[in-house]
Amino acid sequence: MTNPRMNRKIITSRSGETDIAIDVFHLTKQFLIPQERKRSIFEHVKGLLKGGSYRYEIFSALDDVSFTVKKGESFGVIGPNGSGKSTVLKVLAGVLYADSGTVEINGLVSPFLELGVGFTPDLTAKENVYLYGAIMGIPTRELDQRYEEIFKFAELKRFENMKLRHFSSGMILRLAFSTAVQTDPEVMLVDEGLAVGDASFKKKSWEKIDELQKKGTTILLVSHDLEVISRLCSKCLLLQKGKVVMTGKTAEVIEMYNKIIERGELVENMKRKKLNIVTLTDK
Amino acid sequence: MWIFEYRELIHILTVSNLRVKYQSSVLGFAWSLLNPLLLMLVLYFVYSHLFVTQTKNFAIFLLVGIITFRVWANGTSSALSSIFEQSSLVTKIYIPRQIIVFSVVLSGLISSLLEFVVLFAFTLVFGIIPTTSIVLFPVILVIYFLIVYGMSLPLAALFVYYRDLNQIWTVIVQLAFFICPVMYSLAIIPAQYLPYYTLNPVTIVMTSFRDIFLYGTFPDLLSLLILCGLTIGILIIGTLIFSRLERRFAEEL
Repeated sequence: MTNPRMNRKIITSRSGETDIAIDVFHLTKQFLIPQERKRSIFEHVKGLLKGGSYRYEIFSALDDVSFTVKKGESFGVIGPNGSGKSTVLKVLAGVLYADSGTVEINGLVSPFLELGVGFTPDLTAKENVYLYGAIMGIPTRELDQRYEEIFKFAELKRFENMKLRHFSSGMILRLAFSTAVQTDPEVMLVDEGLAVGDASFKKKSWEKIDELQKKGTTILLVSHDLEVISRLCSKCLLLQKGKVVMTGKTAEVIEMYNKIIERGELVENMKRKKLNIVTLTDK
Repeated sequence: MWIFEYRELIHILTVSNLRVKYQSSVLGFAWSLLNPLLLMLVLYFVYSHLFVTQTKNFAIFLLVGIITFRVWANGTSSALSSIFEQSSLVTKIYIPRQIIVFSVVLSGLISSLLEFVVLFAFTLVFGIIPTTSIVLFPVILVIYFLIVYGMSLPLAALFVYYRDLNQIWTVIVQLAFFICPVMYSLAIIPAQYLPYYTLNPVTIVMTSFRDIFLYGTFPDLLSLLILCGLTIGILIIGTLIFSRLERRFAEEL
């Protein structure tokens, strides 16, 4: 198994470009959803005695998805609920396996699927920063150097020896964000809540993200928040039910997305009207 | 190799495990030492008064057995739920998943080291002079660590899919306490079963540690070779099962 963080090879896209950061090629991912979820050995034995067979429903989360993201580009992934946005991100982060197709990332990756992965309430803020840093792949020596900066940015220097258990959720998120941005990623994979905390910290977070963007960090952002997407991303991918609807400039893709939603509501309204008619005629 | 590539993460995860385990109670370490000692006292009382035992230095005999057994029992039991308990390390980020199991087993080994130190002190109190055979102790302990780790891999992976495995494992651990020669010596095993009985890696480690700490002799070379063979086998099978099952961890957790 390859470690995505170590995946530093230069990939050449099919058209021969070398400035590609993320290359997703005919990616397909299916989930097997058992009709009866068996969670224990006991249930399995019971099922065998009954003589029932295993029935699965196949849910196609991603169906032949392809796209490329250029280096330094900020790329948004949007789509209605259940369209497979987060699945794309998880496959890219190496958390989920692809059933078929390939995913290649060129450069040091930092997945931000959630802030504060591995935070342990019974450890102090200091210990947690080192733990989280190690999980995110920051070498300890580098973390030593950036330690002051992390706590300064999080505005939590006073609390460095306090157990995380006594922190408010806002403080925890601030600490997590401050540590996470120290990874100096070349490719950032972000799911939703990018900027966290109160208004002033949010502003600081945005500035930090702008700074990363200027440095040439490639950002892949999955979000429902169209405002954030249009603010940050130059290009976008629209997914619906695991299929690519369109890829292109953010403004155009968002327009298409709004159309889809309107159409969806239209269909729903029609269904509702039909139901009304049926109930009327029944009477 | 992931162990070298991720040594800093393994180090920090292991230390964090130990901190969480012992920070919460001031008496943390003391309790973890008292536990095997109290069990030894109970068994000593039962065996020396109810059943008459001829074993010399029976207290040390028991203590070696109990501490050795605990390394395996505590190691596998805590590793069993490790992936499930730290599921965010699987579902929210990619790190080689065996690291989670590895660091839990490693922190268990480190806390057992203290128990071995106490054991060593006890042997001195009982007037047993250590011989050069003690140089083999760290070697066998490392092999033992690999055995516990190799067994923990499939357990931790299976627990992700079968959430009642811990109940079954508790029973198996209790059974193993009687199957392994914690309270009795190999002399009571009928000769025709002995070759099979000594195929149990925990038994080999236990008798080797008794040779080292109690009798001051070198463990039998043949059984050490068997132990190495078993270790390699357990590691290979464990890794194979783990890598097969880990593919869908993130979907199950």
